[in-house]
Amino acid sequence: MWQYVLRKLLWNIPVYLGILLVVMLALRVNDPVWVRLGKNATQEDYDRERKDLGLDEPFLKQYGKLLWGFDLERQSWDKPGRSVGKELSQAVWPSLWIALPAFVLTTLVALGIALVAAFRRGHALDRWLMAGAVVGMSISYVVYIILGQYFGAYKLKEWTGAEIFAIQGYDTKRAFWWVHFCALPVLINVALAIGYDSRFYRAVVVEEATRDHVRTARAKGLGERRVWLRHVLRNALIPVITHVMITLPFLVAGEILVEVFFNIPGMGRTLITAILGKDFPMVQGFTAVFAAIFIITNILTDVLYALVDPRVRLS
Amino acid sequence: MIRAVGKAVSAVGRLVAANVRSRGFRKFRKSKLALTAAAAIAAYVGVGIAIFFGLVTREEAFERVGPDSVPGFDALQPAERRFNNVDFQLTLVERALKQQDKARALAEIRLGRRRVAQVPVEELKARVEAVVELAEELEGSKDLDREPKLLPKVAEMEARCARLWEPLKGWDAWSQRLKLLLGTDRQGRSILLRAVYAIKIALQIGIVVGACSVILGSLLGAAAAFYGGWVDHLVQWLYSTLSSVPYLVLLSVLVFMFQGSAIEQTLVPIYAAFGLTFWIGPCRVIRGEVLKIKQLDYVQAATALGQRRWLILLKHVLPNASHLMLVQFSLLFIAAIKSEVLLTFLGLGVKHEPSWGIMISQSEQEVVNGFFWQIGAATVVMFGLVLAFNIFTDALQDALDPKHIA
Repeated sequence: MWQYVLRKLLWNIPVYLGILLVVMLALRVNDPVWVRLGKNATQEDYDRERKDLGLDEPFLKQYGKLLWGFDLERQSWDKPGRSVGKELSQAVWPSLWIALPAFVLTTLVALGIALVAAFRRGHALDRWLMAGAVVGMSISYVVYIILGQYFGAYKLKEWTGAEIFAIQGYDTKRAFWWVHFCALPVLINVALAIGYDSRFYRAVVVEEATRDHVRTARAKGLGERRVWLRHVLRNALIPVITHVMITLPFLVAGEILVEVFFNIPGMGRTLITAILGKDFPMVQGFTAVFAAIFIITNILTDVLYALVDPRVRLS
Repeated sequence: MIRAVGKAVSAVGRLVAANVRSRGFRKFRKSKLALTAAAAIAAYVGVGIAIFFGLVTREEAFERVGPDSVPGFDALQPAERRFNNVDFQLTLVERALKQQDKARALAEIRLGRRRVAQVPVEELKARVEAVVELAEELEGSKDLDREPKLLPKVAEMEARCARLWEPLKGWDAWSQRLKLLLGTDRQGRSILLRAVYAIKIALQIGIVVGACSVILGSLLGAAAAFYGGWVDHLVQWLYSTLSSVPYLVLLSVLVFMFQGSAIEQTLVPIYAAFGLTFWIGPCRVIRGEVLKIKQLDYVQAATALGQRRWLILLKHVLPNASHLMLVQFSLLFIAAIKSEVLLTFLGLGVKHEPSWGIMISQSEQEVVNGFFWQIGAATVVMFGLVLAFNIFTDALQDALDPKHIA
């Protein structure tokens, strides 16, 4: 077990080193200082900015700085006096407040739909659910967000007279702030992912339900409930846990879109604002942190996988 | 060069044909749903090709065809908006009448196919006066929407305003009707034309990104599996690295790469960003398949016969993984079209072409005002293509890659 975890950790070290390298190279292909200052800048301006950013240092030294603590001390370009680390520590919380509930809710709802569909496999209900999932997958995320805001915030206010969900913004000092500012983005995020996820989980459950040991269980005369709960669901959870990973990129994508649209000062919006404002230190720091979080989640899922499925440790 | 390209195209064609003739594919041909989806895709591609040859030009997609935010199907608007529409047309003509060279200024006015009535300037001035007279009368009222009594007057004003324009005949009339069929956006551009022209942009992005990613991914994946050793380690490291950044973040950073450069205005940054992100999927799949194929007898036979390694890879191994490439292409095609909308919405994608992403992003403000024509048109046209491709991909996967889960 520990050997397996250690191996995973070791494998991820070069991967992380690689990401930082890729990010640094991608951001330096087009000289960020010129991009920022425009074509009319003087050479002195250029040299000064370049020195401020530490871009005049040798590449390896810059690499080391990014590696050793994401270069968080660096000042943001757009917001003078604010370091990347400070921005990051503020942006983390709104993101977590949306991402975690959305993640848990999506998984539960998708798994529920998948179980119902798989249980009634081949029947009308299954076909309708899966047709709905395909149709839902074919509509752009942005449409969900725009219409979600229109009906969830504007129209709901017209109908009920009370402003249950905010149109946009984020303020933790308000009473019931989570419901007011985060609930609608979370619901939209769930809607975005539900089609893809429930289809995937259904396939996993169906695969498990057609295994030989399930047939054996039925042949032994076990009741349907016992077969499904004990022999199908328990085994299906193994691939589900590991493939929760697959849904993470979609979660991040939905998160970024929702944050930008609802003007929530989370990591996604900060990153996109930085990219649009050509704020080089922020883009570099945030991408590195995004990657680090991603890798840690990756390792955690691997470990979880090893815990629930003893076969993994051998490979 | 041309011969090489021709050879490559014919090789791809033969591979696709071989897949279509395969046993697994029979299931595909029996499924009515899959065939309908294939027909729908063919229709979209047909429209795309027709646009490429000039069915709808780029200029037409940017041209003003009427007042702004007109709803589709000639839906009746509130009186206030109708008044504004007349006001807009009036201003257009009046401004021209104030110019030095009136005849030329008037001749230059164009709303789609509409032109100013070909009458003497004095006559036109009289017609303008007739509209202005009614308009001034109506302007006195505070809120036209609340006064149904004035509706006949609004209609009368519209009728008089219509006389400012040359009556349209035959094809011109149809063309103008068609352009206004789904209404106009906030710059008075035809929503229908833009939504249709966007098909070409979407197909372009889907095909280029799909083809490039599949070729790049398959070659790397196949080489990794086939040669093993350090090649394998390198490729695995590369794709683990790139897939450790959430794809939307990676796309954004790659687009950042092109900011301020000469090609920023074109679609090239999108192709590059998507291509560099999306090759990972096919690479993984093909690597797994080639690992299996290289153990098979016919590969060993080819090795025993002394054929060169790279020729074995190209002639014996890759063609036998081509069904997976087909499936991957169709998966990535959808992913590219959908991601275009996301990136454009974030302000990083398409900028100077009419695309569904641009249309949907622009409709954000319109939706707040209860105007759904633009978002509706873009969503429905896009939905048709993506849904057809989703069904098609599912059927393709069932036929060619039945062991795959989801």
